[in-house]
Amino acid sequence: MVMPSAFLIIAVGLGGAFLLGFLRNEWRATAFAVTVLSLASIILISSMWVWGFAYGEAKPVDFLTAGIAAPFAINLRVGLPEATLVLLVGLTGLFSAIYLKASFERMGKRAMAVLLIDIMALCGIILTRDIFNMFVFFELVVISTGGLILLSEDQRALAAGFKYLIVSQFISLMFLLGTIFIYHSYGTLNIDGMTQTTAALAKGASLGFFLLFIALVTELKPFPANGWALDIYEAAHPAFSAIFSAAVGTAALFAVNKTLQIGGDAWLPVATGIGIVTFVVSNILALQQTNDRRLLGYSSIAQVGLVLVVIGQRDILGDKFMFVAGGILLAHTVAKAGLYWLSGMVSGRELQAWTVLRKNPIMLFAFITFIAMLSGLPPFPGFYAKWELAHALFASGRYGLIAFILFGALVEAGYLFRWFGFIIKREMSEERVVFLVRKVMVVFVTALGGWWLSYIWGGLSSYKNILYNIPFAFALAFMLLEWLPAKVKNTIAIIAMCAYFYISYPSYDPLQLIFGMIILLGGAIVLLASYNWTGRRQGFYTSAMLMYAGLSMLIVSENSFSFFVAWELLTVGSYFLMLRGKNSEPHALSYIVFSLGGAFAILSGFALAAQGIQPFALTGLGQVAQTYAPWVFILLAIGFMTKTAAIGLHIWLPGAHAEAEADVSPMVSGILLKAGLFGLFVLLMNMGKTQLYGIELTHILLWMGALSAFLGNLMAIFQEDAKRLLAYSSIGQMGYALFGLAMMNHLGWLMALLFVINHYIYKSMLFLSVGGIAKRTGTRNMFKMGGLIALMPLSFIAVLVGIIAMSGVPPLSGFGGRWIFYNAIMTVDYRLPIVLIFLSGPIAFLYLFRLIHTIFLGQLKDEHRKLKEVPFWLILPQMLFVIFLLGFAVLPGLALRRVDGYISKFFADGALNWDSSVITSNYGYWNPVAIMIIISVIFVILLAWLVFLNRKAQKVKQFNIVYAAERPYRPETTHYAWNFFASYRKAMGFLVQPIVTNFWNAITGTLHSGADVVRRIYTGNGQTYAYHFLAFVVVVFMLSMGV
Amino acid sequence: MAHIAMFTGFALILMGLYGALTNRNIMRMIVFFTIVNTGINLVLVAVGYLPGRTAPILDDVVPASEAAAKIIDPVPQALVLTAIVIGLGITALMLAYAYKLFELKRTLDISKFRELKW
Repeated sequence: MVMPSAFLIIAVGLGGAFLLGFLRNEWRATAFAVTVLSLASIILISSMWVWGFAYGEAKPVDFLTAGIAAPFAINLRVGLPEATLVLLVGLTGLFSAIYLKASFERMGKRAMAVLLIDIMALCGIILTRDIFNMFVFFELVVISTGGLILLSEDQRALAAGFKYLIVSQFISLMFLLGTIFIYHSYGTLNIDGMTQTTAALAKGASLGFFLLFIALVTELKPFPANGWALDIYEAAHPAFSAIFSAAVGTAALFAVNKTLQIGGDAWLPVATGIGIVTFVVSNILALQQTNDRRLLGYSSIAQVGLVLVVIGQRDILGDKFMFVAGGILLAHTVAKAGLYWLSGMVSGRELQAWTVLRKNPIMLFAFITFIAMLSGLPPFPGFYAKWELAHALFASGRYGLIAFILFGALVEAGYLFRWFGFIIKREMSEERVVFLVRKVMVVFVTALGGWWLSYIWGGLSSYKNILYNIPFAFALAFMLLEWLPAKVKNTIAIIAMCAYFYISYPSYDPLQLIFGMIILLGGAIVLLASYNWTGRRQGFYTSAMLMYAGLSMLIVSENSFSFFVAWELLTVGSYFLMLRGKNSEPHALSYIVFSLGGAFAILSGFALAAQGIQPFALTGLGQVAQTYAPWVFILLAIGFMTKTAAIGLHIWLPGAHAEAEADVSPMVSGILLKAGLFGLFVLLMNMGKTQLYGIELTHILLWMGALSAFLGNLMAIFQEDAKRLLAYSSIGQMGYALFGLAMMNHLGWLMALLFVINHYIYKSMLFLSVGGIAKRTGTRNMFKMGGLIALMPLSFIAVLVGIIAMSGVPPLSGFGGRWIFYNAIMTVDYRLPIVLIFLSGPIAFLYLFRLIHTIFLGQLKDEHRKLKEVPFWLILPQMLFVIFLLGFAVLPGLALRRVDGYISKFFADGALNWDSSVITSNYGYWNPVAIMIIISVIFVILLAWLVFLNRKAQKVKQFNIVYAAERPYRPETTHYAWNFFASYRKAMGFLVQPIVTNFWNAITGTLHSGADVVRRIYTGNGQTYAYHFLAFVVVVFMLSMGV
Repeated sequence: MAHIAMFTGFALILMGLYGALTNRNIMRMIVFFTIVNTGINLVLVAVGYLPGRTAPILDDVVPASEAAAKIIDPVPQALVLTAIVIGLGITALMLAYAYKLFELKRTLDISKFRELKW
């Protein structure tokens, strides 16, 4: 294929602009057609090149002006990066032009000419290899930017434009001085000529490069010399901001990357330093933003800073440099341009105004796509880039840098998801919005472009394309089924999950089988409850399937990459699910922030363990060098414990689980929490006991488990809200499981696995019953219920069986757990945590007793007299659970026997003896059938005795009481079930002070108030911004003196 | 000769910067920026100057064969020409902005245009 000349790109842009000049002013449509055609030609030329590089045999080519070789003439180079970026710039220009059609038709041909010049000049910056030519193109960008800012209807844009011109004067001063010094030292203006003669580092070369470098870097809007850019972002037309963020940022980044060849690797740390400061600070400052466009501006600046950091890591990234830098850059450009275009369709400027996106599912889909891209979630390019970057940084020991990057990324994800929460949950304004088809198409195509890039990046990566994972692809396909009624979707989901289990189970090992059964079959059972919902339930099934896809991918993952992908997917899916609850906005946010923080810890752990070797098999965790092993252990354990909500990392759980919808709570409690336990299994299975400075880390986990069990249960007893009570109890239950795992012996692990099964069953069951009751009564506060036993007998049975199982009294499976547990701790000698664990048993009994006593016993409330049993579809899974619990109690060997054998691979000692129906350990035996019979006999005798004693009892009617003539101020204070355990609160209340909550609140509070102080440096005065620029130059100069 | 030009150039740049940073009046700032630009151009020319050579025009006096030894480097001069044109463009744009800004608020004080901040 013959490739078109690069000069055509410049010629088409310039020619189009000139041609516009000849048109009559009234020929608006013709002018617009010329503009679109010119931009389309740029896109065509560049895409031919990209195609040629990707699929053909194209080689990078230098195009020479005047037929003379460089350095005597200017040369334009087209390689794969240049062609791709020109294509990107051209597309941004074309989309913005289409978006701006109405404005252009109002303002006429001149505005269109300015846009063409802008795009042409940006392409020129990317293509040219001559620094003075680059200067000319930059000045053209300045002039055209000065024009395009005025497209805005916001009068404040005028001042923003002038501030920009002031700073650009300073930039061109630096640029020109730098150019002439460099020319003086090297005798050429050609970048390649300079790199070839690096030996000739004459005097002035370093200063010259510094001036050039600082000029180019300032185009990237580094902190603090970026007030002008923020003002432009806030006031300019969003279609221009899209160009300013996506195209200008891209071109300037490429220019920096090109010219760094002159300065050499010695300047990379300077670029890194500027980039990381900008990335972290801008993200923190964005926390306090309420104006959408300014917030996007901060985020743009931060992302460009991140790419600058990646450029600074060129020396260690090697041939992955393009993959990483490109991944972050493309994700940023697509997402930011898309978000700016979206902002043009929202009339209000506060973040809550974006609730109007709910009226249009396409726009909502686009928004989710964009923030997922910015947050670096799979399967988008930023995810692959983040993965590779973290591995490279950990392999070369740049720990501080990666810590800052991950921190900044977490802050960014925090404010982006907070915004998403606003959009989904805040009240929508009544105002009518018109979504112009033209604009919607621009945004939609951009979002699809993001998915297409994911496909490309997946293909380029050395791993399996994330999009090729069947469960994930299935979850995505559910988006196309959103129009179906919920009941149909529910059936599809249930069938799919069962079918997937049927396909996969032959390849599962016993551990995977247990988890697989809970996730896929257990998930299907919980989904039965979802038949209770009517309508379309938009978004529910895609989210749920995403979570289950992540979970089912997690348990079969063999290397760290697929594990991490699955982890992120299940996190995102469950976040969307939790966000559906009526009041769950803050809790879902807290969940996603903790989870992403945990995910970053996991990423760090894997990257540190891998030391640059990829793919890294999970079994490789066992062979990690002694110097890193404890740190890997700590990072991974922290990551997994954010999911199991170990004490200290637990504050997201109660709200997230309690506020979720009735059928979501069992999913995110009964099933999702197991992901963390699975991770801990993998960790301990492969790394085993690990010491840090002589401290046994599993011992610390043991303490964490004990404390979680104790404090989780203690907090549960003081809850008035039944679902919160169950949520806190999950913290305690996960604590038990953690404790069992950390004991690092055979029975401890068996007990942990038993907890995995048991907790799934009884927690799903209890959440369903309580959720159903709350649906009927309209409240979750227990003191507002009572006496429901007669009206809701099936729910009563479910809760009764559930709490018997959970409290660990015979005869149900909880007792089996206890029995194994007591056997397990006989072999270890940690005194104090064992005392705590023992204490938490009776505490659990307190809240369980309260659950059944307050809801079902006592007096029926007047307003509840006509209530009916909980709907059939909510009861059905509960009854299945009851049957299963009874069956599992009699025949625990069904599931446990094989697992017991499997665990013997890791701990040969202490295996149980499964002899017919009797299970024997070193310390005793457990005969489930006999226990069931004995307990049943005792129960029947006692019940009969009770009935016999009560035969003469007189029934007291509900209002057969006398008040003391006082009307209580708050009626619930007289209710016996309110503040049920007041006396315990007196004794132990100090233990449940919200210290941890206060701790995390203090951190976020400090970040927010810090941001509020720092952002005041942007006074709005153009002269102050000039001072910022000078200060920036001086500081960078001082810091780079050593270079 | 070159040193004097160089020194004058830098002096102009510094004077211009000082003026642009201390005057709040937008018109004055623009004027000071043109002084900066003049300074830059002087520096550019001064860097390219070689003592004892002639202008880079090839004619009877300077045949092409001897040009390399006789003329001064033409590149900086070409740069200056381009820089002057670009400077003119930017200055014109700034003046247009100043006019618009004045229309908007009837003032040329840069510190009065601070609605966009933080």
